[in-house]
Amino acid sequence: MAETAKVKKQKVHLKPQMQNKAVRPTRADRIFQICVDVFMVVMLIIILVPLWSTVTLSFRPNTYIGSYLEGMFLPPWDWSIDAYKALLGNNGFLMAFSNSIKILIGGVICALILTIPLAYVMSVKSLPGRKALTTIVLIPYIFDVGMIPAYLLVQNIGLMNHLAAVFLPGAISTYNVIIMRQFFDGIPGELKESARIDGCSEVQILMRIVMPLSKAIVMTIGLYYGVSFWNNFFNAMLYIQDSNLNPLPILLRNILMAAGMNEYVEVSAFGNAPIEAIKAASVFMSAIPMVIAYPFIQKYFTKGTMVGAVKG
Amino acid sequence: MKKLISILLVALLSCAFVFANGGSEATSGPVTNADGTVTIELWYGAAITEAGPIPDDWIGYDILREEHGIDLRLSVLPSNESDQDVRIQAAAAGNSLPDLFMVSRPVLTRLVDQGLVAPVDDYYQLMPNRTAQQYDADSIAMTTIDGHSYGFASPGSVAKNEGLLIRKDWLDNLGLEVPTNLDELMDVMRAFTYDDPDGNGKNDTWGYGAYVESDATLKGYPGARLFPILGAFGVDGLWCFEEENLGLNVYKPAFYDAMVYIRQMCTEGVMDPNWLTYKKDDFRAAWKQGKFGIMKEQNAAYAAEANYAPFDANFPDGEWIVIDPPTGPEGYASVGAYDQNYRIYAMSQDAADEGKAEKICELLEWMSSDEGYFLCGWGQEGVNYVLDDNGVPVSGDLGDNAFSGPDGQVYTQLRNMVFYNSDTELASRYPTYTTAVSGKTMSALTTLREMQSKYWTPAIGSGQMPTPNADVQRYYEQSLAEFLSGQRALTPENWQAFLDQFNAIGGAAWNQQGIDYARENGLVR
Repeated sequence: MAETAKVKKQKVHLKPQMQNKAVRPTRADRIFQICVDVFMVVMLIIILVPLWSTVTLSFRPNTYIGSYLEGMFLPPWDWSIDAYKALLGNNGFLMAFSNSIKILIGGVICALILTIPLAYVMSVKSLPGRKALTTIVLIPYIFDVGMIPAYLLVQNIGLMNHLAAVFLPGAISTYNVIIMRQFFDGIPGELKESARIDGCSEVQILMRIVMPLSKAIVMTIGLYYGVSFWNNFFNAMLYIQDSNLNPLPILLRNILMAAGMNEYVEVSAFGNAPIEAIKAASVFMSAIPMVIAYPFIQKYFTKGTMVGAVKG
Repeated sequence: MKKLISILLVALLSCAFVFANGGSEATSGPVTNADGTVTIELWYGAAITEAGPIPDDWIGYDILREEHGIDLRLSVLPSNESDQDVRIQAAAAGNSLPDLFMVSRPVLTRLVDQGLVAPVDDYYQLMPNRTAQQYDADSIAMTTIDGHSYGFASPGSVAKNEGLLIRKDWLDNLGLEVPTNLDELMDVMRAFTYDDPDGNGKNDTWGYGAYVESDATLKGYPGARLFPILGAFGVDGLWCFEEENLGLNVYKPAFYDAMVYIRQMCTEGVMDPNWLTYKKDDFRAAWKQGKFGIMKEQNAAYAAEANYAPFDANFPDGEWIVIDPPTGPEGYASVGAYDQNYRIYAMSQDAADEGKAEKICELLEWMSSDEGYFLCGWGQEGVNYVLDDNGVPVSGDLGDNAFSGPDGQVYTQLRNMVFYNSDTELASRYPTYTTAVSGKTMSALTTLREMQSKYWTPAIGSGQMPTPNADVQRYYEQSLAEFLSGQRALTPENWQAFLDQFNAIGGAAWNQQGIDYARENGLVR
């Protein structure tokens, strides 16, 4: 009882001090805060201006006369959706979009299935040869395998012309494995120990104890993988020879290249839609899935991942 | 622990060795299929890269299978040449080159050194029709390495397809004549800049518009958009192939004079000041927005219906005309230097070893037959095209299925393998049309013929000339840009200092290498 009263007393004693500090920031605090705000505004402008420029360019009509800067402030009633109509009416675009979605979903699932057990195994301190395993995992991180050996490997295991060839070679990223291992290292050993005492196998510990506590890191690493697979151009260019399997980055590249080349020919896959607008629209459209997904996953980046883990 | 690491590393290396040596088995296959056909794998450059591939129901597959015993397997190469090079070289490293593939000349040279490409000298005679259409002495020279031809080089884009254009409506508004020499050109550029040629009351126009379109083979720096100015001094093009002046044009005294003239255009403000930062699309957007009155432009980029439409909408009374290039102080005049470019298709050594060479020739010869030519170039008659009164394929009322429509165009993806810039192709490619707003009758073909009728400087073989290392090229381009932008004073002393430094870092060696190459390969005029 006496102890509780002491704590209450302390709380009463400390609270006004803290409030004082909160309502009366020092001059240095204020200057620092202004600097932070200015920096954030500058960063926001740096990010928003190219984005806004791309969006307005994609809506710019063929008949637009004016400078690039003026075009960014073109009123919406003067916008044209010709570029989007041309893009969405193009069979190749829809096919490539669908392939990219397949690569994204398949790739993220596959990458997480491979990354999580490896990271978990590497986090088990009692694992025999743990350091050797870590060294082996680190080797490809330090020494890149190179294009030709990777090509030969993909070819010899029969992955050429499969969508899996786009994500499987990058399905285990050493960087992501290490981040995840660090996270698993932080999970209190007592939790795993008590599970072992209750008769859980290592797989059960991973699935029933570790994974529920690791939603944040799984989402974060999943997003890392997702972005890299969504944007992967090189693997698709190298390993996909069937044009029906081309993902969005390949088509995007073709559009950006062809928009220039089509100045020279009479036939364009996009008819008479403005070339610059089509380029911008294709860039914008290809970014949309990531833009949509990010807010849903963002919260996991900042969430206190271990709060409450050892309660009870 | 060290022992364990060693064992694991050895195991990993063994796995890598096993994987690395399994390639050749995976790619080998029977020459003749069960149905008696021969499979030919073709990696081609698509005619419309952003459109889809040729559909599986293309009638050409059936014709080739049933009438020629060829099972054609197609794969589209990436749209960008450097990406194509990567794909081809990776396949070469994996010993999995297709039977027939499009390849750039530098990569072809490397593949020939590695013994991966078959010589084709003896196969031209198996394709009499195609050889007559597409493979002349220049074409064969393009693929000749160490005395043997290692690929079939088909004509690329149309040569001499650019011209010097001027806004005739601006000339009329100001009561000016078409300039014929550099002095008159400067006067007209001044008037276009300062005398409000469009009559809008604003000082928002310039005399000449351009962008830097340079390379290290044909165009040099400041590039093709200023060729008519450089041509007036006899220094258009990176290389001069004339016996008496053989070598890099930058060494000619007249090149300095040309630089002085271009610098004067900049200092007098008659050149669109954005020209050093413009990209091609910016430049094209600028003339469609009426920003300048003189430019060098490509025939279709100017006159094809889709490309002219924005200008027509913005300036219904506007009119561009193709003019003669201005004459310089020594009497030179040229629209620019031109080369003939080619698309090379090479046959892999594996294909030749498997006895596929004759079938490949049969395929190519079929492509150049009437049947293959029209099928690959325009699709099926009545479905994708109809013939007009002159026998020229046109879209007619075929809608989306027409060869130019969204559904029909995918059937023409192989057209670059059959086209050779014939009159039929050009008439079909550049139809005469009436502009939507001003009602003018336009034709990119008429424009092309007009542009081709002007004087051009032959620079055949430029594409094969040796290229400098990146440092030399950067120094050369950067220095000229500094002179033109005024960052470095353009004086004879500074110019000589630039040439001395250029020579010291490798320019002289590059020049000599080019001279030797031109002499050895019969490129000197």
